[in-house]
Formats: sequence, structure tokens, C-alpha cells
Amino acid sequence: MIRLEHVTKVYEGGTVAANDVSLDIQKGEFVFLVGASGSGKSTLIRLMLRDEPVTRGKVWVAGKDITTLPKWKIPYLRRSVGTVFQDYKLLQNKTVAENIAFALEVLGRPRSVIKPQVDQVIELVGLSEMGGRYPRQLSGGEQQRVSVARAFVNRPPIMLCDEPTGNLDPKTSVGIMKLLDRINRTGTTIVMATHDHAIVDAMQRRVVGLDKGLVTRDDQTGRYEGGGE
Amino acid sequence: MSRVFFLLREAMHNLRRNLLIVVGAILAVFISLSLAFGALVVNEVLKINTLAWQEGVHVIAFLKDAGANGVPSDGHQTLLADVRSWEEVKDAFYVDKAAAWVEYQQIFQGQDELLDIDPSVLPASIRIELVDIALFPSVKFKLEQHQDVVLRVQTAAEEIEQLQNLSKVLNVFGLGMAIVLGASAVVLIANTIRLAIYARRDEVEIMKLVGASNWYIRIPFLLEGLIEGLAGAATAVFMVWLGASQLARAGQGFALFRLDVGTQFFFRWGLIFLLFGAGAGVVGSLLGLSRYLRESDGIGSEVPTGVA
Repeated sequence: MIRLEHVTKVYEGGTVAANDVSLDIQKGEFVFLVGASGSGKSTLIRLMLRDEPVTRGKVWVAGKDITTLPKWKIPYLRRSVGTVFQDYKLLQNKTVAENIAFALEVLGRPRSVIKPQVDQVIELVGLSEMGGRYPRQLSGGEQQRVSVARAFVNRPPIMLCDEPTGNLDPKTSVGIMKLLDRINRTGTTIVMATHDHAIVDAMQRRVVGLDKGLVTRDDQTGRYEGGGE
Repeated sequence: MSRVFFLLREAMHNLRRNLLIVVGAILAVFISLSLAFGALVVNEVLKINTLAWQEGVHVIAFLKDAGANGVPSDGHQTLLADVRSWEEVKDAFYVDKAAAWVEYQQIFQGQDELLDIDPSVLPASIRIELVDIALFPSVKFKLEQHQDVVLRVQTAAEEIEQLQNLSKVLNVFGLGMAIVLGASAVVLIANTIRLAIYARRDEVEIMKLVGASNWYIRIPFLLEGLIEGLAGAATAVFMVWLGASQLARAGQGFALFRLDVGTQFFFRWGLIFLLFGAGAGVVGSLLGLSRYLRESDGIGSEVPTGVA
């Protein structure tokens, strides 16, 4: 589903964020990218989303080499990849339902399709009573649920999550992880960058450890501690 | 279709949400185009009046009385025939003493003290229209060679020539003003749209995040620019029209200077300014957007936390 082949990313100024990284992620996998701040987790997520160009190497997403993808095709890639970020990235002037619907409206889906899909996903993330509320009226955990709902409403085959629990307390984080686990069980491949030990240890999924852009380990059912921090 | 409605709804929603910025953009276009349109109207008024003055009589040769002081009785008609044969002359006609008196009475109608004169003192004259106003010195010279018949030569050509030069300068100035102010309207809209994008950068970022194409992101901003440009231009056209109409009405009794430029002028140029306003809005939006979208071709252009 996702394949990185000898990927190197060097930022202006010479910072090496990914150093000859090779990874193969299968369909339906749940993969944690772990490591300290600056280890290159977020960079790998960005490379998979073509938010950044690679310096060297190849990245395949859903069978396509996205390193040679023309700029005008990038939106099509992003339509097949749901994304969740630490800061939720919600539109403050739109309600919960509108925020979720936005992802479908941008794709030009008719209203008759949008409404039931939005209702369904709102229920999935447990916010059935909050469709009419604005983000500022929600807690951090609820806002992140909206973000997950928006990422999943289009039923993408891949979801990339960059520190989705970074702003949440442990109890709320568990709720979000349960939600992501549920989505993963529908066959969606999930790649999640995190430095949350408890979550990684509890989930017992594949763990890819990073340090200064290098892959330090790749355990199929690993724990955070082996990650070299 | 649902996409079109969505984009229109987004544009209208954004216009409502950023009312202050939108009003600023409309005012910017209004001021720029009002000045440009105003300059054009002033130029047109001067052109109309210069043209009016250029038409008709350019040179008048006042004649000594025929049959007296050595002037042959057919001296006037001989000179008229001679003048008509000159290549510089488009038309020439004779005004005898009786016609001169009638004209005098018309000019000074109601001013009894001026009308109390001996009509015989008014000289006959030959009124000359030139092929080209620039030829007046040659005609004047030729007439002065007929001192036996010609009493005095009067010409308005110097003044008209000055007006012509002024009109040319005004034409260039008006065109220059229109270009500079039109360009400033585009720049102001571009800056306003850039401000609007900056205010909504999170929104644009999210649109990119969910897979919106650059064109899809552009369209609501282009619609905003179009609406702002059109609104500014429409207000400018209306206000200049209103001002010019009021001036024309006020100047109706003013015989020497015409202030009315006509409905057709306003219709034609009003339409051009509306189109220009709309175009300026779209071009301004494109300019404002292009740099932003180029710079932020990714979801976020900043280096990830902890990496830089």
C-alpha cells in the first residue's frame, strides 16, 4: 500500500530528516512511527502526502510513484489519503457537520450523498448530538474526533496521522486510539507518528523506530521502549 | 452543479465574513476607477468643446464699404470669388451690412444702449472656414494683400490651435491617468485578495489537505475579486455619471461651454469600465493567489517542528 525506497530528505540548511529510509507497508496495516522530536517522523508523513518532495529515492502510495507525480495530480493523491494532525485543522466558522461535509463538498459530491455519509461518520466517532456545534464549543478530544471523521468520511484506503494524541490527555487519547483501531479494522491502512509510549505499548502493532532520519528498528508487534529514544 | 453552488455559496459566505476587507477593496476600485472615468469625462468635455469651436468660421475679413474710398462697387464679390478659389479655404460666404446689423441685433438683444447705433457703421464681411485650421496664417497673409478692400482681418485660429494642443495633452494625460489608475486598481485588488487569503490561510490549507485542486481553491477568490471589481466599477460609473449629469444640468444656460457628454458616451464607456473592473478583480485575485499557492503548494510550507 505504501512503499519507501531509499528515501532521503535533506532540508535547506543541510538538516537530514530522512536518511536512506526503506519501508514497505501492506494494506490494512497499523504502523507506528516512533522517535524523539526531530527524528523525522513528521517528515515521513509529509513525504507520503507529497507535502514535501524527496531529495532522493522513491515513494509509492496506493501503487503510484508519487515522487514523479505532477503538481496538478497531488490533490487526487490526497483524496485517497485521510490525514489527522495534532492541531486538528478544523474550520472555526463551520459546524462539526459542515467541517466533515467540507471534505466531500470539495470533491463535488451531491448533497444527497453528503448528508447520509456525514451522519454516518458522525455517529461512528460518537458525536451524534454535536453536529451543529462549532469547534470552539468542543473539547480537544471531541475536536480530534471531528478531524478523524473528516479524514475518514471519504473512506480513504490510507490514513496518515501525525501526533493525533499530542494535545490530548491520556484518557482522551485512548478514545481516539480506539476510534483509529476501529477504522483500521475496516481495512484502512493507518500510519501514525507518535511519541506516546503508553499508546504504542497498548496497541501492540508494528513499530518503526526513527532516530535522526535513520530507521533504527522495525518490529511487527513492538513496544515503544525498543525505539532507541 | 452541486460544485458550482458550493463555490458560489463559499464566495458569498466569504464576502459576508470579511466585510471590512471587501468594503476596502470595493472602495479602492471605486476611487481608482472614479478618477480614471472622471478624467475621461473631463477629456471628452474638452474635446467636444474644442471640436465645436473648430467648426464654422475661422477667419473673418471685415471689408471697406463698396463704391466709396476707391473701393469698386463689385470689389466685395470679386474678393469673395478670389477667396473661394484658394486651396486653403473650405467655404466662404458674404455677410453684407444689412445681415451684419441683423446679427448685431441678435447678439445684443435686450441691451438697448448698445443697439442705439447707426447701422451703417457696421462693415460687411467675408466669413471663411478653412480646410485645416493650421493654414490660417497663409490665408491671413493673402487677405492682408488686399488692403484696398479689406478693412481688418480677425481670426480665432490661434486660440483654437492652443485648444487643440491642450486637447492633445489632455488626451495623453487622460489615457495615462486611466492606465495608471487602472493598474493601481488591479494592484489594490491583488493586495486585498492577498489579505483575504492570509486571513483564511488555515482554510486554504485545509482545502489542500482534503484534496482540493488549486483551481478549486482559486474559484471562490476569483468570484470575490470579480464581485468586488464589478461593485467598485459600478459605483464609480454611477457616481461619475451622477456628478456629470448634475454639472451638465447646472451648465445648461452656459452658451459658450457645453458640459453634456451624452448618454451614448456614458453607456459605451460605462460598459468598458464595468468590464475593466470585473477584469481587474479577476486579474488581481489571480495575482494575489498565484504567489500564495506557489509558495504553499504543500499543506504547510514550514519545516516540521523539531527538524529545522
